[in-house]
Amino acid sequence: MRLNLKIWRQANQTASGRLVDYVAEAISPDMSFLEMLDVVNEGLIKKGEDAIAFDSDCREGICGACSLVVNGTAHGPDRGTTVCQLHMRRFKDGDTITVEPWRAKAFPVVKDLIVDRSAFDRIITAGGYISINAGGAPDGNAIPIAKSVVETAMDSAACIGCGACVAACKNASAHLFMSAKISHLALLPQGKVERRARVVAMINQADGEGFGSCSNEGECEAVCPKEIPISNIARMTREYFRAMLVRA
Amino acid sequence: MRVFSSSVWTKILIGLTGVALFTYLVIHIAGNLMVFFGPDVFNNYAYVMEVRNPLLPIIEILLLLIFLLHIYKTIRMYIDNQAARPVKYVKKKWAGTPSRKSIASSTMIVSGLWLLAFLIIHVKAFRFSPEYEWPAGGRDLYRQEMENLSNPFMAGFYVLSMVVVGSHLWHGFSSAFQSLGVDHPNVTPVLMAAGKVFAVAIAGGFMIIAVWVYFHSGGRVRV
Amino acid sequence: MTLDGKVPAGPIKEKWDRHKFEMKLVNPANKRKHTIIVAGTGLAGASAAASLGELGYNVLNFCIQDSPRRAHSIAAQGGINAAKNYQNDGDSVYRLFYDTVKGGDYRSREANVYRLAQLSVNIVDQCVAQGVPFAREYGGLLDNRSFGGAQVSRTFYARGQTGQQLLLGAYQSLMRQVNLGNVREFARRELLDVVVIDGRARGIVCRNLITGAIERYAGDAVIIATGGYGTVYYLSTNAVNSNVTAAWRAHKRGAFFANPCFTQIHPTCIPVTGEHQSKLTLMSESLRNDGRVWVPKKKGDTRSPEQIPDEERDYYLERKYPSFGNLVPRDVASRNAKQVCDEERGVGESGLAVYLDFRDAIQRLGVETIEEKYGNLFHMYKKITDEDAYKVPMRIYPAIHYTMGGLWVDYNLMSNLPGLHVLGEANFSDHGANRLGASALMQGLADGYFVIPYTIGDYLASATLPKVTTDHAAFKASADAVQQNIDRLLSIKGKRGIREIHRELGRIMWDYVGMSRNEQGLRTALTEIPKLRDEFWRNVSVPGTPDNLNQSLEYAGRVADYLEFAEVLTLDALHRRESCGGHFREESQTADGEALRDDEHFMYVAAWEFKGVGKEPTLHKEPLHFEEVHPTQRSYK
Ligand SMILES: Cc1cc2nc3c(=O)[nH]c(=O)nc-3n(C[C@H](O)[C@H](O)[C@H](O)COP(=O)(O)OP(=O)(O)OC[C@H]3O[C@@H](n4cnc5c(N)ncnc54)[C@H](O)[C@@H]3O)c2cc1C
Ligand code: HEM
Ligand code: HEM
Ligand code: SF4
Ligand code: F3S
Ligand code: FES
Repeated sequence: MRLNLKIWRQANQTASGRLVDYVAEAISPDMSFLEMLDVVNEGLIKKGEDAIAFDSDCREGICGACSLVVNGTAHGPDRGTTVCQLHMRRFKDGDTITVEPWRAKAFPVVKDLIVDRSAFDRIITAGGYISINAGGAPDGNAIPIAKSVVETAMDSAACIGCGACVAACKNASAHLFMSAKISHLALLPQGKVERRARVVAMINQADGEGFGSCSNEGECEAVCPKEIPISNIARMTREYFRAMLVRA
Repeated sequence: MRVFSSSVWTKILIGLTGVALFTYLVIHIAGNLMVFFGPDVFNNYAYVMEVRNPLLPIIEILLLLIFLLHIYKTIRMYIDNQAARPVKYVKKKWAGTPSRKSIASSTMIVSGLWLLAFLIIHVKAFRFSPEYEWPAGGRDLYRQEMENLSNPFMAGFYVLSMVVVGSHLWHGFSSAFQSLGVDHPNVTPVLMAAGKVFAVAIAGGFMIIAVWVYFHSGGRVRV
Repeated sequence: MTLDGKVPAGPIKEKWDRHKFEMKLVNPANKRKHTIIVAGTGLAGASAAASLGELGYNVLNFCIQDSPRRAHSIAAQGGINAAKNYQNDGDSVYRLFYDTVKGGDYRSREANVYRLAQLSVNIVDQCVAQGVPFAREYGGLLDNRSFGGAQVSRTFYARGQTGQQLLLGAYQSLMRQVNLGNVREFARRELLDVVVIDGRARGIVCRNLITGAIERYAGDAVIIATGGYGTVYYLSTNAVNSNVTAAWRAHKRGAFFANPCFTQIHPTCIPVTGEHQSKLTLMSESLRNDGRVWVPKKKGDTRSPEQIPDEERDYYLERKYPSFGNLVPRDVASRNAKQVCDEERGVGESGLAVYLDFRDAIQRLGVETIEEKYGNLFHMYKKITDEDAYKVPMRIYPAIHYTMGGLWVDYNLMSNLPGLHVLGEANFSDHGANRLGASALMQGLADGYFVIPYTIGDYLASATLPKVTTDHAAFKASADAVQQNIDRLLSIKGKRGIREIHRELGRIMWDYVGMSRNEQGLRTALTEIPKLRDEFWRNVSVPGTPDNLNQSLEYAGRVADYLEFAEVLTLDALHRRESCGGHFREESQTADGEALRDDEHFMYVAAWEFKGVGKEPTLHKEPLHFEEVHPTQRSYK
């Protein structure tokens, strides 16, 4: 296959960027999208030109590093799929593909297609944990937890922290990401102890980072590679309500 | 307002005011449907609701506050949300199901501002305009309505505005519940569907009133 | 030189408890004054950094990804072992210990393995308390599955995302310590040198991957938890940025590299489709419970699988191992797949794959049952290959998956270089010549949560550690060397792609130092690797500048280290003229082609000392003693 690529190139955080045209040749339909970019990069490197920078690591949809907006959709056209698991058979010979980075004030572009997502780490740092130290934990079976509760918690805990939800949301809101962690922890008995302080601290942090609010559009859910539903956002609101009304 | 400034409080407040405004619209359309029963019924209804109602000033002030809060919060949020994405995408597509994004949801600020303009014109025309006496007591609101809507431009503007109301509610109704944290596998689909039904019913209802009044107003004004 | 593993005295069951009591403690008020550098945020690094932060040390924590949460541990699927015996099926600490020593083919240190089995119990408790959503039964208690051929159900899991959930638990604890000010996090930093002052590891030199700045950090002890070196084979199930760089640079500063030839190959991965392939995806081993492995009997049979009648199929595992059949251990299944492909009976376009067929299972159990058991795996297979495994057999092939070798450490997880501690997959410690399924996660967390917090205290309390700053001459020398290496890479400006050379290295390693090794092949590799290394340094193209985010430069540095490291790995494989665990030497096999250990000559840990690039490293041996579990030959017939 031969493809026309329009790829966002930006030298660093302060430089202004633009879309640059490339042609990807001899692309096999079995390649993943990132392998297609590897091929383009290999060509650039051999010519001594600066390779296109993009994040990736596991290349199997779990680390959350890869982060490309492909033809206007975060992680590309396949549902429940990270861009590292998107395959070129999804495209036709001669297609034009536009590739952009996540765009949000809280995710400044570092270079080309790489953005700085440390804001997510700071949201977790603000309270996305259970405060226990190593040692002294009670037996794992000391507190039985209903299977259905654990399964729901696991649905939320599956978040890979990729940031596609922010990228897709018209408000660049981090509500889905945050609510996934808040739900995961608030559903489990171990996490209930700190639920009030946690939800307030995390939301304040996200607001301070410059993420937007949520207008309930659900684009985030549609692009989320782990298909995390926005019912988590509703749960976060309830958690927040509770935190405001009931003092710990 | 600082305590209520977090992104989640913002949602809660917009959701609450949205539900309140929706409720007002339901009551409002119910009242306005009386216009089909002629001037006696309609004016009597207005008389009972307005003159004989000691709570009216309070309700009006409350309504005004709700409007102001809704407008303040939504505009403020819109500005902040715009700031959250300073560099726009060159290419952006709808992500597909289960996204709830629609033309209506993407244009809430436009439909909202249109409604603001409509409200100013509308309230000026009905609430702060010269009043006609109605012999049985109160105002002759019926006549006023006929006059207001006899102008084809005005009628057209109303009809168009009702499309906008419908659009605002198309997303707004279910959105308000999600904003308030109401979510349940059985309830959410019902709310989603109800939002669309209400949007069409309320917009359609008002539209029929406006059109009906326009065509009836010819005779009335001349008398 | 004979290495001392510093195994404490006493009966095996009491060693750790006794040792814990005998070790020195750091006064709580003094902990704050000790800076500990932790490189790595995988299960080992994150758990260590968090626990040390909890104790009050001043911790500096580094990783190459943009967030500590993305360490490669996140990809582990199957589960984590713990000797809880919740299933009442006869498990115990001793049995887990026994299985691990045996599974490691008697090439691990008994005392370490026993401690690991003991601590496994605490790990699960710790993780549950952190909010790890392990699978549960309807009654609300923790569920277990049996994994990797174990005869008891002791594997705890969170769907197919166990590594992710455990890592997020550790990451969250780590972030809590960041919040409390005990840990400072440095993401997108690559450790490029370990600074040794007065014979002790006292700091590191890193490249800031965003600004390109060469940064220096000083401390009282250095912990390396930077994972395994599977990507020396280019294609592996590891994340693409996994590297040996941190371990290798420490090795160059004096830390011994132990048993590098012990690599694990996983039999059920999705096969290679072409040159372009950047990594291989693991398909869970559980598929072999119902799938039947076969290839055509005839060489070069290009018919599609459904056209090949049963009598022309060779279900070779069932034929050769009637009692274990398709469930033989990883190394046996892998070697046999290679063998049939070498006989030109492999399938698929490349001829490098075998069928894993569910036809009979579907007939017997129905599509629904198969879907319920393996639906997600079939789905993943479809996503990658565009083939429907309900209709056509899957094609699978072995791939490099885990590396048992690593920097040598003693019982306290300290390398021979004082102050340098090594945890997780980066050390060689507990798995011997072969790792059992679901025990890498266990080891990483045991090291980080429950071993290093004690042993590092002992080191800090016993050693005299005069204050050093990053102005010290040794820091300057290190930083200069790092800078020179970077400048050198950027100045080559050759014609070859970095990936191209890495791919070539991978091919050499896979062909000659892969699943099945022999003297001649290993010697070929030992001539090919230096040639390729020369070609790299003469003719590679590394574009871009040093003072900016430059992924080509990062990658080139890692490949450069692999080109040096590959030689030691090969040398180790050459010197070990026995077959054990994942290391199969064709010269050492039984009459019917099974691995044959040579306990008389090779019952030791081989630890290599660096003597210069291209120079033969010096071998040091740590003899292994088996007092509890007596070595026997494995058999799966
Ligand atoms: C696909 C797959 C599935 C697996 N499934 C299982 C399973 O089910 N059960 C099981 O027990 N094991 C499993 N394993 C093995 C297990 O996941 C790993 O052995 C284990 O997670 C390694 O953890 P670690 O902390 O040692 O290193 P990693 O998790 O590899 O972490 C390495 C860390 O070091 C950092 N780093 C690397 N290089 C540098 C450098 N130069 N400078 C600074 N920082 C650096 C990285 O940023 C990262 O934070 C699996 C492995 C794979 C590949
Ligand atoms: C009768 C008039 C109005 C009604 C019934 C109404 C109703 C609603 C409802 C139900 C919502 C959804 C709330 C939520 O999602 O939480 C909403 C949202 C909104 N309203 Fe109104 N509204 C009215 C007037 C206005 C006006 C005058 C404006 C002027 C600016 C406005 C602007 C908005 C905006 C921008 C939103 C979107 C909020 C978001 O993105 O989440 N509305 N409205
Ligand atoms: C065809 C459409 C409509 C008709 C015929 C209509 C009619 C009227 C009438 C007759 C009044 C006067 C009532 C009074 O002063 O007591 C009134 C007031 C008002 N209407 Fe409407 N209306 C319509 C649509 C709307 C819509 C869509 C909105 C809201 C977005 C709205 C908001 C109001 C408000 C806020 C007042 C003033 C209420 C008060 O001050 O008490 N109307 N309308
Ligand atoms: S919620 Fe989904 S889209 Fe958002 S960060 Fe998590 S996995 Fe990515
Ligand atoms: S797309 Fe954005 S508006 Fe809310 S529901 Fe998702 S965060
Ligand atoms: S590279 Fe890890 S999720 Fe895509």
